[in-house]
Amino acid sequence: MKITSPPNWHYPVTIGDFAKKTDDEVKRSDPLFTYLYETTVQEGDKWGETKDVKRKFPARFEASLDGIIRKWYIRTGAVVARAGVDLLEIEEPCTHEVQFGGLCAECGQDMTEMDYLTKELNSERATVNMTHDNMALLISHKEAVRAEEDSKKRLLSAKKLSLIVDLDQTVIHTTCERTIAEWQADPDNPNYDAVKDVKGFQLADDNAAHIVASWYYVKMRPGLPAFFDRMSKLYEMHVYTMATRAYAQEVCKIIDPQRRFFGERILSRDENYGEKIKSLNRLFPNHTDMAVIIDDRADIWKYCENLVRVPVFNFFPGAGDINASFLPKQQELVTQPPTKPADVPAKEGAKPEGESTSTSSATAHPTEPVPAASTNGALGDLEQQLISISAVESPESFEEQVKEQEKVILTQQTERPLLQQQLVLDKEDEEAEVDEITQSTENGYTQTTEHHKHRHAVLHDDDRGLETIGAHLRLIHQTFYDEYQRNKIVPHSGRVAELKGQKSPKKRPVDTVVPDVAEIMPRLKRETLHGCVIVFSGIIPLGVDVQNSDFALWVKSFGAQISTTVNKFTTHVIANPDRKTTKVKKAARYDTIMIVNAEWMFQCCTRWEHVDEGPYLIEMDDADKNGSPIEDMEDDSIDVTGDEGADEAESPIQFDILDDDQWSSMNNELDDFLNESDTDGGSASDSESVRSADGTRSEKTKTKRKRMTATEANDVSEDDSDASVKSTSSRLQRKKRRTMERVTSLTNVENAEKSSGLPSPETTGPEEEHGDNEGKTFDPQGEGPDLDSDFDDGLEAAMMDEFEKSASED
Amino acid sequence: MFFIKELEKTIQLHPSYFGPLIRSHIHRELLLKEEGSSTGKFTIVCILDSFEISEGQVIPGSGAAEYTVHYKAIVWRPYKGEVMDGIVSSVMRSGFFVDCGSLQAFVGRAMIPADIKFDANATPPQWTDNGDQIIEKGTNIRIKIKGLRSEVDKMYAIGTMKEDYLGPLQS
Repeated sequence: MKITSPPNWHYPVTIGDFAKKTDDEVKRSDPLFTYLYETTVQEGDKWGETKDVKRKFPARFEASLDGIIRKWYIRTGAVVARAGVDLLEIEEPCTHEVQFGGLCAECGQDMTEMDYLTKELNSERATVNMTHDNMALLISHKEAVRAEEDSKKRLLSAKKLSLIVDLDQTVIHTTCERTIAEWQADPDNPNYDAVKDVKGFQLADDNAAHIVASWYYVKMRPGLPAFFDRMSKLYEMHVYTMATRAYAQEVCKIIDPQRRFFGERILSRDENYGEKIKSLNRLFPNHTDMAVIIDDRADIWKYCENLVRVPVFNFFPGAGDINASFLPKQQELVTQPPTKPADVPAKEGAKPEGESTSTSSATAHPTEPVPAASTNGALGDLEQQLISISAVESPESFEEQVKEQEKVILTQQTERPLLQQQLVLDKEDEEAEVDEITQSTENGYTQTTEHHKHRHAVLHDDDRGLETIGAHLRLIHQTFYDEYQRNKIVPHSGRVAELKGQKSPKKRPVDTVVPDVAEIMPRLKRETLHGCVIVFSGIIPLGVDVQNSDFALWVKSFGAQISTTVNKFTTHVIANPDRKTTKVKKAARYDTIMIVNAEWMFQCCTRWEHVDEGPYLIEMDDADKNGSPIEDMEDDSIDVTGDEGADEAESPIQFDILDDDQWSSMNNELDDFLNESDTDGGSASDSESVRSADGTRSEKTKTKRKRMTATEANDVSEDDSDASVKSTSSRLQRKKRRTMERVTSLTNVENAEKSSGLPSPETTGPEEEHGDNEGKTFDPQGEGPDLDSDFDDGLEAAMMDEFEKSASED
Repeated sequence: MFFIKELEKTIQLHPSYFGPLIRSHIHRELLLKEEGSSTGKFTIVCILDSFEISEGQVIPGSGAAEYTVHYKAIVWRPYKGEVMDGIVSSVMRSGFFVDCGSLQAFVGRAMIPADIKFDANATPPQWTDNGDQIIEKGTNIRIKIKGLRSEVDKMYAIGTMKEDYLGPLQS
């Protein structure tokens, strides 16, 4: 180790005599040489007068480490002017490259000792941890590079790559519900076939949950042993999970009983330094170019290029990822109203209207987006709970996370959501029998092809995700080694060397020969959706930056571009099939734009191919294509400012002549308008004011609303009389409110904070009015005058009529 | 090395335990809390039966009583240079870990005889001289402590097998 002049010297110094010669052995604190430094001191003479004099003082320099002196860089009489000048070189017997718990693994010395000679703690020399199962073993950077070179050579010679495997919801799914054990014991149960290969284990020392040794039931993804078997020939596999070590080990016992696939290469939360994100550098500090990851979540990998994102494996509906509380929050969902009432499982029932703010992460977890090849149950399972990442999150303490996990486990143990779901299904089946309807095959949710019984099963064993993952991994492996072979064959006096002007191409570093997975994968993926310009509509929740949302990033990694507006360059609109948003309608007018549901995107992204849009197209009727006048109007209003005043003023024209159907279509449009503005970041301000108004109103006029919903649907005239006591616009507002309630997932997010924002007077005026005195008087300052100018005569007359009538009633 | 050591422990007892069985409660509490615990210097292996319990003192405020227990225990304290037997718990390229009771020791590459090489391709990975010496997870092994460091409730040790009669044990 080179010794340099320390910063605490009084410069300049003059080197004096040497105490040691080259090749002498030195011990720590042995004097090496003397030096002289000059400083001003006060000196008194015999008359008691003091004056400042410059004097030279000798000092000794001591060795800070053991070893043998290899070289002197200084000579006697040399002047050292500043800190950092090389003095001498001491060769150490041990450089402490590997340290275990503060001890050098090579010489057994304590690395944490510190004394007056210590310039830098020895423990600073080894800071890299690349061990899977130990926190205390650290190695130096140099050693890490060496280790990686070794493993690289080994992998190349074995023609393998590294594969990092996530456990929960990628290759297995775990629940804590003891219902599973009961079903396993009962061959008559409709779920018996699905759960018979589920394995259970008990964690004796469960530090996460202070519940008496809870049972965990692990379901392997279908075809897992075969998948591992195939992959272990191409990849050296590692486990990287956010679960505890004990849990990870138990799971590995199940998925890898002979320890053939993973060996001891298991990295768990306990060894992740309390980080909430996973990092390739934890295992491969310098070279990540031969590592491939499979995980169901991209955000915790920071959208790493080495990641093959796999469809979530969600076998136990509602169970979610029991270790998710240790990951960053990902849930902010746009839940669609379920397509069929039969599709509402018990857990949806727990959420009023299917979308209240999700409190427990068990219910909030997104269900499987893509059962890649499942013919049935695709839509039912999908439920289109879409994910996005919350941009910033407050750091949660570890304890909170533990508590959260405990809560999830406790919920599963006590509430037993699966059992509830099965009961709901059983009940449906009974009803179905009464109705003598065999709804076995066409029912999207209940799965029956395998066990064709009267009772339908909650669980189905139809996941095909591993097949596609396997294909991708094979493709990556093949591309990697094809490229590697090509690079190797390049002749020694080849073009590369010429271009680089290298003299000896033989000495090319291995790096240029070995391709980088992080380059290969994007190249393979980019082709998938190359040239597609995609617009999301009604998919990404409000308040999320569309470009940086989880899905957008996902799609972008496949080469597509994301746009926020529909224009002639747009090729695809990914929309919510239940909500015809303005963007969708606008897109419908272009023949070239395909309007597809989110399933198409999932299929493309999981299969890595441009899937035929045909089956995923959203039906558009002619009216949508041609664009009705109302739409145009709506479009315009949005394009200008999204001014709701325009709506209010115009829409009432229709009121008297509308029948029920038109009412509902209007509802839809309003719906669309609101959603549209929600998803569209540009016109947020407008939707905010509507929302805030909604927020305040919903508290005040609860009773009113109830009455409204009861009567409104079937009796328009009654509704009219009821509503006309207020301004016409208020009726519109109520309608808005009702539609808003139907899509509360969007509004709930923002209500709390936005309700403080001042709503425009047009919206609040009449509402407060209703809230306080239920429809007694017409508010003269409110909408009346504004609206009057726009009303046609007939409506105005009718309105006044009603108004007078109600006034007389009062 | 094993020692018999006199120790002292203060035990708090909840009022619900007050009664004729109070002595056995204290005894149980003592065994539960102390046996197997490590202080950073030594590990308590076994508490001997004869022990003295002081007069109980009720703590103001909580109603719990505090007893000071004097007891003798067999403790184990590892020393630098001590030879001990353990079980290999993990094997990797840079060495292997050995569990010796409560102490975890690491045997680095430099501490392994040169003829024993690491074989990463074996399942499970192992250190072997391609003869009768195979070190893999679960192997019984004899090592000598080369370095020792204690933290508050944990000890770390570096072991070596580069001396005579050290290495895997034939079982």
